[in-house]
Amino acid sequence: MAPRRSTGRSRSTVILLVLTAITLLTLSGRGFGPLDSARSVVSSAVSPVGDAARWVFGPFSDAWNAAFDHGDLVQRNDELAQENDRLRGELIEGTVATQQLQELLQLVGIPFVGDTPVVHTRVISGSVGNFGDTIELDKGSTSGVVKGMPVITGRGLIGRVKLVGEDRCTVELITGGSFRVGFLVIGTSAVGVAEGFGRPTILRGTNIDVAQTVSDGQIAVTAGLRGSSFPPNIPIGTVQSVRSDESSRQTIVDISMFASTRDLTYADVVLWTPVG
Amino acid sequence: MRTVIRFIMLLLTAVVLQRFLFDQFRIGDIAADAFLVLAVATGVVCGARQGAIIGFCAGLIFDLLVVTPFGLGALSYLVAGAVGGLLEGVVVHSARWITMLVAFIASAAGVLFFALLGSLIGTAGMIGGHLVTVTILVAGSTSVLVLPTRRVVKWASSYSDPLRAAVHS
Repeated sequence: MAPRRSTGRSRSTVILLVLTAITLLTLSGRGFGPLDSARSVVSSAVSPVGDAARWVFGPFSDAWNAAFDHGDLVQRNDELAQENDRLRGELIEGTVATQQLQELLQLVGIPFVGDTPVVHTRVISGSVGNFGDTIELDKGSTSGVVKGMPVITGRGLIGRVKLVGEDRCTVELITGGSFRVGFLVIGTSAVGVAEGFGRPTILRGTNIDVAQTVSDGQIAVTAGLRGSSFPPNIPIGTVQSVRSDESSRQTIVDISMFASTRDLTYADVVLWTPVG
Repeated sequence: MRTVIRFIMLLLTAVVLQRFLFDQFRIGDIAADAFLVLAVATGVVCGARQGAIIGFCAGLIFDLLVVTPFGLGALSYLVAGAVGGLLEGVVVHSARWITMLVAFIASAAGVLFFALLGSLIGTAGMIGGHLVTVTILVAGSTSVLVLPTRRVVKWASSYSDPLRAAVHS
């Protein structure tokens, strides 16, 4: 009888744990606040360990990464050399284009983030584990950072603050696909919803009314509609490809991001919280 | 009580190892998973039930460190620990390579479960070519790390090998 009782107890223990995990998943899906608070507390508590690790193992870690990414680095070096040559040739043209972009943004009343204050931060680590596109920044609630604030680089939107500790915060990158951002295509009244789908520089924009004409090369910025998690007019990227889905009456676009979410060193947290 | 305290120490050690070591030394941006190693090693040494319990606890701690849906790690590592225990339970003679194979399969099951369930509940970017690489590398590293971890888990669980005990008696 003993083994049967033991098996029964094992089964009930495992079932209890499974039900607990499912309950936690459900609470998490419904945005249960204490779970995020617990994560913030743990993140703050554990981060000194990460800092110490980076200090101690930083040089070894760099050597390790260089060893394993050697092929990539060589290829990337070649690409950069080619790109450098190309950019030298296009420098003047690029300067003109940048001026044109700025003029265009001003013309349609789009100051980059405008007067909204930002907190300059340094990226101190990537994500823990192997899933979930996140980075950790070296500023937190003491600098005014609040959950949900947009995070940008000098070139555009990269993500939003997910967890906040006292002196650091975790940012979920837009390319990870864990959240959506409403966007507006400049020069049109086309609005849609952009989200990542696992590619480092491309977002997918959906829900654009098929009646709106959108074409390659047009600039997408955050729409900042009422209730949006993002302020208006943060540059996102340029429309790369456009196709229509007649069955769902929507236009779908790929957006090539201005900002890259790879190899980030610095980022700015926009001190903006949604209104309404 | 002593066993519980020892396992808590192991879980804390896993946190330090993950942050201190594994996250710093990645291959192709993929890190070994200390929590998964602990879950699988416990399953292998102590059986499916213990593996599931420690897997659940390790997964909960993992969930506190990441931004993926809370509970996903707990459920997935529970599966990995239980699978590790179940597979080891059906093995008659546990050679080292068999333990490594069991660890590989159990951790692969955990990673795949994590990605599939995450994808099912709406987390984007979990399934793709990346998943194959993550599964192989994480399962591979777990199969290597499970051997030293097995010894530590034996210490924590005050495990005594029945065969060895019989020989010494």
